[in-house]
Amino acid sequence: MKTPLLEIEDLCARVADKEIIKGFNLTINEGEVHAIMGPNGAGKSTLSHVLCGKPGYEITSGTVRYKGKNLLAMAPEERAREGIFLIMQYPVEIPGVPVTTFLKHAVNAIRQHRHEPELDTMEFIKLLREEGKKLGINPDMLKRPINVGFSGGEKKRLEALQLAILKPQFSILDEADSGLDVDAMKVVAEAINAERTEHNAMLVITHYQRLLKDIVPDYVHIYADGHIVASGNKDLALEVEEQGYAQFLKEK
Amino acid sequence: MGELVQKVELMGSDLPWLEGLREKGAVFFEKQGLPTAKTEAWKYTRPRDLLADDFILPPLEEEKENACTCGEHCTCGHHQREGEDFLLQAYVIDFENGALEHIAHNLPRGVTIKPLIEAIYEDDGIRKYLNKSFDMEKNPFAALNTAYLEQGLFITIEKNVMLDKPLALVHHSFSCHENLMFHLRNVILLEEGAKAEIVEYYNYSGNEKSRYFTNIVNELYIGRHAELNHYKFQDEAFKAVHIAYNAVKVKGEGRYNGFCLQRGGNLARNETHVSLTEERAEAEINAAYIMNGWAVIDTTTDVEHLAPYTKSTQLVKGVVGGQAKGVFQGKIHIAPMAIKTEGAQLHKALLLTDEAEIDVKPELEIYNDDVKCSHGAASGELDADQLFYMRSRGIGEEEAKQILVDAYLQDVLEKINNQDIKDWLAAKAKLAK
Ligand SMILES: Nc1ncnc2c1ncn2[C@@H]1O[C@H](COP(=O)(O)OP(=O)(O)OP(=O)(O)O)[C@@H](O)[C@H]1O
Ligand SMILES: [Mg+2]
Repeated sequence: MKTPLLEIEDLCARVADKEIIKGFNLTINEGEVHAIMGPNGAGKSTLSHVLCGKPGYEITSGTVRYKGKNLLAMAPEERAREGIFLIMQYPVEIPGVPVTTFLKHAVNAIRQHRHEPELDTMEFIKLLREEGKKLGINPDMLKRPINVGFSGGEKKRLEALQLAILKPQFSILDEADSGLDVDAMKVVAEAINAERTEHNAMLVITHYQRLLKDIVPDYVHIYADGHIVASGNKDLALEVEEQGYAQFLKEK
Repeated sequence: MGELVQKVELMGSDLPWLEGLREKGAVFFEKQGLPTAKTEAWKYTRPRDLLADDFILPPLEEEKENACTCGEHCTCGHHQREGEDFLLQAYVIDFENGALEHIAHNLPRGVTIKPLIEAIYEDDGIRKYLNKSFDMEKNPFAALNTAYLEQGLFITIEKNVMLDKPLALVHHSFSCHENLMFHLRNVILLEEGAKAEIVEYYNYSGNEKSRYFTNIVNELYIGRHAELNHYKFQDEAFKAVHIAYNAVKVKGEGRYNGFCLQRGGNLARNETHVSLTEERAEAEINAAYIMNGWAVIDTTTDVEHLAPYTKSTQLVKGVVGGQAKGVFQGKIHIAPMAIKTEGAQLHKALLLTDEAEIDVKPELEIYNDDVKCSHGAASGELDADQLFYMRSRGIGEEEAKQILVDAYLQDVLEKINNQDIKDWLAAKAKLAK
């Protein structure tokens, strides 16, 4: 018996008066990994933002349930505390706020919500160092302001570190692979795979089949013009790689 | 409408010169009146609040019995608050409602702290400094302060004496059925080579809705090679009016380093006028303000470079929320003979709401070419993407804002040399009290 974690029904959303998501349907059960591929500008990042509650998007119709609850009524921080996490395509730079300070606030906000005791500074630093090491992030980087001056790959590693530390139940990876070198891709994929459990689920947005070799999805969906135009298993990703999106767009 | 100049008997009325000075103060105040929209120096900060209600001097000790002082048995029904003590290592001097309560014992050698009125009676040199550092004709509140000259301190740090701990002037104020006003005058003298840290802390106790008016004038004289670090935290009750004027004279190679954090009051102004009178005198004036509601908080500076090789820097940063208004007026004056001087000034503000407002007036008066002078101003808002990024990691909205505000104020707080005071003020520079 499958337990649905995320149920998206007929979702339509616009930004700046432009319809981007048009009748999107998808159910993700606990334990499943879904990949989404699609041409530039299809609305993949928009979907990830809407799921995380980023302000500025207008939901014109449809529903999203997360663990049976109305996700769209929740504030971004509530969603995060309930276990939703997004690796952003473009992580934000925050001058003046060291990574350590920021992550300590985040970890403790989430632990408090789960009725777990707050981590003291020593415990927290230890955790951060350990997880950072696995991702090839050196302690100096953790003292720097969030993402400021980080290389593309470093930014993605930091996103993966947050995932490893915040332990979400539902992760959205929006081009987690972009900017990563071959070795870093392996390390990041490993960190992500470590979070795959029978209760956790993931939505992996990517342009390349490459990442899906390391993070093997249960389903692959082709997203174009605001909704899913084709679904299949991991072989669908190979097909896209070889033939591009033209065939799916014509079908429409 | 009540009059701010009232006939009251003050201590020292038997001294003709003192009475004469007070009268002069009253006359100069009445001549100027309260600043209006037409008063250039008060263009953005109109002390209209002072017209709305009557303010009286606190009742004398023997009359206190009948007056409500919002003590333990008060029945006024307002929320009572314990005044916050100053907890850092310091020589503490306590004031309650503008009256001196207690001076720390065990002061180090070479440091004298006297109640102002005592110093006046003893006449041991205070007359050379009292009321000598500013112009009453141009400063209505300093004139009013002179009209009520009585409370405050005369502090002397003797030649080459270095204080091991800060002197902390801690003020607890409150009022209840009647609105009180306090006029305080401190005359502080650092002799040649002396070094001291002074903290002024204004907070309230008792009724949080207290309406009171604090009017402070500090006359600070910094001798050759002497250094004063002057810290201030203005955290008055939210309906209070706080007006402070700091007149600072710095002699050759002396140094004034001021930092003021303002967070309280409905109308508050901290004005600092520094005169660098001899070669290589230096001043640093840094300030921060953080405000909400309908408050107006004003930081006004005026630095006069009167001698060659003098140097001044200013960094003022504000965070304005609600429908509040932040005001910064900064003037740098460089006299013709003050060659090779450097003056730099920067004001920045973060506006948290659409209704928040700032008014900024920089003014440079430069009368010679051989100087390095700069000024700048900038204002901005919180970055929506940064806020979302933090919230998407589980951090609550208010907490996320505070993290950004902390980051914003960090550089100005870094200007504080004393680590304990830096930590204390950083902990106080919060949006929620
Ligand atoms: N604030 C905005 N104002 C106007 N248009 C926007 C805004 N945000 C997104 N769009 C548009 O919405 C469309 C979808 O953008 P989105 O970033 O979701 O695409 P994507 O599928 O993630 O593309 P990519 O593969 O390039 O990352 C694009 O055409 C984009 O220009
Ligand atoms: Mg995208």
